[in-house]
Amino acid sequence: MTTQELEQLLAQQPIALLHRLARGRVQRHFRAGKRRLIEILLRHSAENRAGFESDLMILIGERPPLPIPPAPQAPAARKPKPSTPQHRAIHRPAEQDSHEPAITLSSWLDGLGVPPPKPFVTDAWQEDAIAKLREGDVVVSVPTGSGKTYVAVEAARRAIAENRTVIYTSPLKALSNTKYTEFSKIFGADQVGILTGDRRDNGQAPLLIMTTEILRNLLYDAGGGEIDIRLDTLGLVILDESQYIADPERGVVWEETIIFCPGQARLLLLSASIGNPHDIAEWLTSIRPTPCHLVRHSTRTVPLRAGYLHPNGKLMPLFRTVGIPHGHPSHLHPEAKRLFTQYEDETLPTGRRR
Amino acid sequence: MPPSIHPVDLILALRDKHLTPAIVFLTSRRACDEAMQAFDHSQVLLPPIRQQAIAAVLEKVIVQYPSIAEHPLIPTVQRIGVAAHHAGHLPSWKIAVEELMRHGCLDAVFATTTLAAGVDFPARTVIITQSSIRKSRDFTDLTIGEVQQIAGRAGRRGKDLVGFAIVTPSPYIDLNVLTKGFTGHPEAINSQFLISYPMVLNLLKAHPLDQIQPILAKSFAQFQLNQRAEVLERKLDGLREQMEPFGPRVCTDWITEWQTFDQVRRQKSHRAPARKHEPPEITARFHFLTPGRVVGIGRSRGVVLRQYRSKGQKSPMITALRQGGGITESPASTVTEVSDRVLDCVDAPVYPWCTPESVEELLRHLEELPGRLPELPILIPKEDEPIPDAIVQTLGDFACPTCPSRSACQRDYPHASKLRQEQQRHLKSIQALRTSLWHRFQGKIDVLQEFGYLTPTAHLTDDGEWARLIRIDHSLLITELIRAEAFNGADPAMLAAVMSSIAHDDDRPGAFPRVSSGLGSLLGQVRKLALSLSPHEDPPLLRADIAAVTERWIGDPSLTWIGLCKSTTMAEGDIYRLLARTLEFLSQLHTLKATHPGLADTASRAIANLRRGVLEELP
Repeated sequence: MTTQELEQLLAQQPIALLHRLARGRVQRHFRAGKRRLIEILLRHSAENRAGFESDLMILIGERPPLPIPPAPQAPAARKPKPSTPQHRAIHRPAEQDSHEPAITLSSWLDGLGVPPPKPFVTDAWQEDAIAKLREGDVVVSVPTGSGKTYVAVEAARRAIAENRTVIYTSPLKALSNTKYTEFSKIFGADQVGILTGDRRDNGQAPLLIMTTEILRNLLYDAGGGEIDIRLDTLGLVILDESQYIADPERGVVWEETIIFCPGQARLLLLSASIGNPHDIAEWLTSIRPTPCHLVRHSTRTVPLRAGYLHPNGKLMPLFRTVGIPHGHPSHLHPEAKRLFTQYEDETLPTGRRR
Repeated sequence: MPPSIHPVDLILALRDKHLTPAIVFLTSRRACDEAMQAFDHSQVLLPPIRQQAIAAVLEKVIVQYPSIAEHPLIPTVQRIGVAAHHAGHLPSWKIAVEELMRHGCLDAVFATTTLAAGVDFPARTVIITQSSIRKSRDFTDLTIGEVQQIAGRAGRRGKDLVGFAIVTPSPYIDLNVLTKGFTGHPEAINSQFLISYPMVLNLLKAHPLDQIQPILAKSFAQFQLNQRAEVLERKLDGLREQMEPFGPRVCTDWITEWQTFDQVRRQKSHRAPARKHEPPEITARFHFLTPGRVVGIGRSRGVVLRQYRSKGQKSPMITALRQGGGITESPASTVTEVSDRVLDCVDAPVYPWCTPESVEELLRHLEELPGRLPELPILIPKEDEPIPDAIVQTLGDFACPTCPSRSACQRDYPHASKLRQEQQRHLKSIQALRTSLWHRFQGKIDVLQEFGYLTPTAHLTDDGEWARLIRIDHSLLITELIRAEAFNGADPAMLAAVMSSIAHDDDRPGAFPRVSSGLGSLLGQVRKLALSLSPHEDPPLLRADIAAVTERWIGDPSLTWIGLCKSTTMAEGDIYRLLARTLEFLSQLHTLKATHPGLADTASRAIANLRRGVLEELP
């Protein structure tokens, strides 16, 4: 095969194949566009022309037939048949996993829609969390939007039924207000109160909503001998968004609250997914009278898919799989990868490329 | 190609693929506002039915929060079905947007990531345009947890079968951060146990000093420190095992013994310099073989041009200009006599080491010199200098040289001492991990004692009793201001203004009204005090322009919210937050009514003036 023929042959191949060919031969090949990549490959092939050609043939042989019939000097006809099987045996197993064909946009979008209305069914972890709260404190670490609020509401309902006071804290005043409205709808306005720094609405209600700072102050006052709230009837403290314990400025407030929380009250910590919820649970077990149970759940109720939208309006999957390939950040959809590289090349000022 | 997708195109693309409603997270408030402006003249209208639905929901919200009735974004929201939601907006507006989202009326909300945690509504799709967020004046990459928190808003339970998190690039986006965020496991969180002055005071109010340490030990901070200490302890156990073969020998602590012996031995050997075979008279003479010195070399005479030590042996060498004009390199030992005559010689850095003119000169002088020259008297130190007594004595103290285990000690010493050093390092860090919280606490106690809030026995003084009720940032500054009676005679507006300048921690620039002269001088005093307290507490920004905003609002009860907003370039939401925080600070001052009735009264009047209009809408 002459160099010119080879160049022609390479030009007929899809870019994905060229990238596969460039793997291990050319550094940072994924940065190059097709023409540049062919140029680099040709230059490279000078070193070991025979090996290069046979690898190319194998790759072409593996591909499903092209939709467009190949040119007269079709590569398939020239395939050096005897060498093929051995090479396949060598190359295939190592590369197979990441080279399943990437999904198409339509299959990525498939399944979009509104589920048929069905009666609300609790998840097993929600049941578990509520049940375990009878035995001791509970730490819940689940992805955003999995239904933590349901656990809070149900736990509060049970505590109120036992004539216990429930305190619900959130890190932000705005969230407190949202929850106040939400809980008032669920429990009735007379059952829910809210405490802020300067105002107290329905402070005698069995379910009190406040920011964590306010609760910390109440606990301090109780510790100083000035009982301000019915801490003796306190049955349940719900700390929402408790991953705030790692907040550089305010995190200490969560720790203080937990340390000084009366022993007879149960603690329910609701948190987004964090890396070490077992540490929190272990810590609670070590300082609280009752053992702490960890409820952890990592799959989302509504599955998530990731996409890539190019500034020109073209939408495509971000990963080569439909769902998110956990643990494989590099399994990008080839098209998304190519367009993003192109985008970076166009927008990054020269000399700033990584 | 545009650096990022145009908002109108974005909405069209999302509608086309049925990916609405969506939350579009943008880098800044400005980006959100500009995105909204982009729809001003666009014709991507909603069908009339949906427009009516939006109007109906808005109407309901307006009944509860009249302040948003005139909101400039309402027309766009109704026409297009998109809204902006960020910290620059009033909470009531944010509630309205959340309400609209909950009813499924909107196609998209443009929001900032800074408040991702505060955005309490899900959508079918989340659009991510950035990979870093602004945190305390710096841009930092999103953590895995943050990416998942943002992406997690996609997919509404019961309303969607799947949720979509879509990345669309904007300049400086790093796709790796996002793909790692999507596919990774969230980071472990770490305790951030800040010990504050009010915490110390409140703990000491309720518990005697000797009970504090057990309380600190209950913190998550200590729990995590203990975890780290345990890791070190395990390492320590491993080291102990490795140290087993290096237990007691002839002497129990042979490592230390050998270490000192070895050191002394080395010192002794160090005393013998590299040129130890150099006869003392040569060393003594060498100092005098300076350029221009007339010397006798062998039977002839010469002038020294330079002196140096040879590279390999370090033996003393001279370059000399000989009678007859030759320039030779010769060892200093060949110098037979050193005369007391020094000729003038101009140095040069290269061969022949002096200027050509001075070579001529020197040669002439050399010829003119008399046959005999007086020799330079050079004192030669005694040949064998004894090793200082101290070292001889210590060497004599060591049993090592004759000890039966000497060879074993010598062999094992390097390894054993390395192990032991590591052991000691771990022990030190474990000690530090176990006690650091307590030390930090004690540091705060010391400061509070210095300022007189605590007695030397760490009980609360009278000042401490009320100071512990101030549980906000910059509490030391505030309590010191109260003790200095800085607020005596200040009217409610001035008090609130100072409090807001202490509370405000944002350095966003802007144009603001001027301060009154009384407030200006008070702020000057506050600034001076804050500066003097800076070793113990970070001073607040104390912006006069911020104080002026608050002063206006409280000082002039007829001022409307719109009027206040017009007097500054600060965003509505920021003004609201500023006043809300000031309110919080003032209500802390109000709790001092038992000890400082005047101040508490001024504070409560300020609170009453502050809570009007928009600030009264929310609980």
